[in-house]
Amino acid sequence: MYCFLRLSVLLVGLIVSVSSYAANAVQPLTTADDLGPKVEQPIEFPHDRHAGDAAKGGMQINCMYCHTYARRSIVAGIPPLQKCIGCHQNIESVRETPRIKKLFEYWEAKKAVPWKKVHDLPDFVRFNHERHIQRFVFAQNKPVQEACGYCHGDVKTMTVARRQKPLSMGWCVSCHQKDHPVDATSTKTTHGPNDCWQCHK
Amino acid sequence: MSITNLLENWSDFRQQHPSDDRPHREYKWAMSIDLDACTGCNACSVACYAENNLPVVGKEKFLHGHSHHWIRIERYWANDGREFADQGAQFLPMLCQHCESAPCETVCPVGATNHTADGLNSQVYNRCVGSRYCNANCPYKARYFNWYDYPTTDNVWPEPMNQQLNPDVTVRGKGVMEKCTFCVQRLTVAKSNARSEGRSVLDGEVQTACQQVCPTGAISFGNLVDPLAKVGKQWMTQQVDLNKDKQAKDVAEEAAKLRGYRILEELRTYPSVMYLEQLREGSI
Repeated sequence: MYCFLRLSVLLVGLIVSVSSYAANAVQPLTTADDLGPKVEQPIEFPHDRHAGDAAKGGMQINCMYCHTYARRSIVAGIPPLQKCIGCHQNIESVRETPRIKKLFEYWEAKKAVPWKKVHDLPDFVRFNHERHIQRFVFAQNKPVQEACGYCHGDVKTMTVARRQKPLSMGWCVSCHQKDHPVDATSTKTTHGPNDCWQCHK
Repeated sequence: MSITNLLENWSDFRQQHPSDDRPHREYKWAMSIDLDACTGCNACSVACYAENNLPVVGKEKFLHGHSHHWIRIERYWANDGREFADQGAQFLPMLCQHCESAPCETVCPVGATNHTADGLNSQVYNRCVGSRYCNANCPYKARYFNWYDYPTTDNVWPEPMNQQLNPDVTVRGKGVMEKCTFCVQRLTVAKSNARSEGRSVLDGEVQTACQQVCPTGAISFGNLVDPLAKVGKQWMTQQVDLNKDKQAKDVAEEAAKLRGYRILEELRTYPSVMYLEQLREGSI
């Protein structure tokens, strides 16, 4: 009887371990470098050209010039086509390049560019851009690109943005547990909220 | 908290008020419902369905007790010796009481229901495994279980109707427990707005959906920590203390004049909802 039991335990153990190994082998939960999937955008938007350093041929435009809602809303916002055209109608030097031509095609057809979402959080999560930007950029005087980069990576070196961080709950909490100074000068620190309902809805 | 410690000091744990040592600093959301003003019109319930993406389950499932009314109107009849009462209905809107010492929280095997710093009883859907212990332990029966996958298999919101879903609230799938949240999505927005302006949420700045639609204004909602809040004043005038399981006024002579009470207070749940008793003809 015990022999049978032992044998069955052994067998079950074997099956479980083999199947879990197989499951692991088929689909790894996260890639080693936490990179998100490559997202095909309708226009290959060069973030490096717009926001990159001047030394590397970038225009050093503030993130919040285009993603203007980040400091005052839950979402950062994808800029409307008007914003692109607002500058580009006056930039003759690149007017005939393929990407800008495509941009003006959308403009003349009066259609929005169907940008794809890169940083897609699950539906049960509430993330507020405003709170983070207010804290890091306005209260602590951190450079905008650094503050955005905590979650979005070094976007100014990318062309099409790609997810750089895991954006998992454990990863969020790893930062929320740290002590952050409340503003640029004070020595008082606070950490991010750890209430379930702050982020889960 | 080890299990032996818990068992040895069980009565202490039950006597202790949960926020005795950690008082609410900024917010303690609370409600008061005037049963004298309530006409039982069910507008609060309808508003809740719209605000919180509640599925309308239909007659058959309702009879099985599978309905999802986070706020429901309970009816009580004064039948005065008749076999079936035909008049004198009394209405009582019942919702999650957001107990300070919530019985549901202690029994959740996975910690899906917790107490927040604002004194809310939170329910995290993606953590819930559907053991339904919380439902069994809730004395108010204010928790509702998703027996079916309403959005997909039951198709509660067919094609154009899914546009009405509130994007700030999760659409729950099969096998999770849900309950009134005090419209936490609105509270979060109000708190964030107030924070940007460097103040705390003003009284009346945030309303729950049920409060907003109540035609007689029977429901008031606010921050109990705020001394200017209407709710706090109501609790004060009715001499109902959040942190007591037995109100001092109940033994006093003039208690009859005060209408405030909390349901099943003696179970030491410390609910955050105060009801104002209906005035009866005899008492006027």
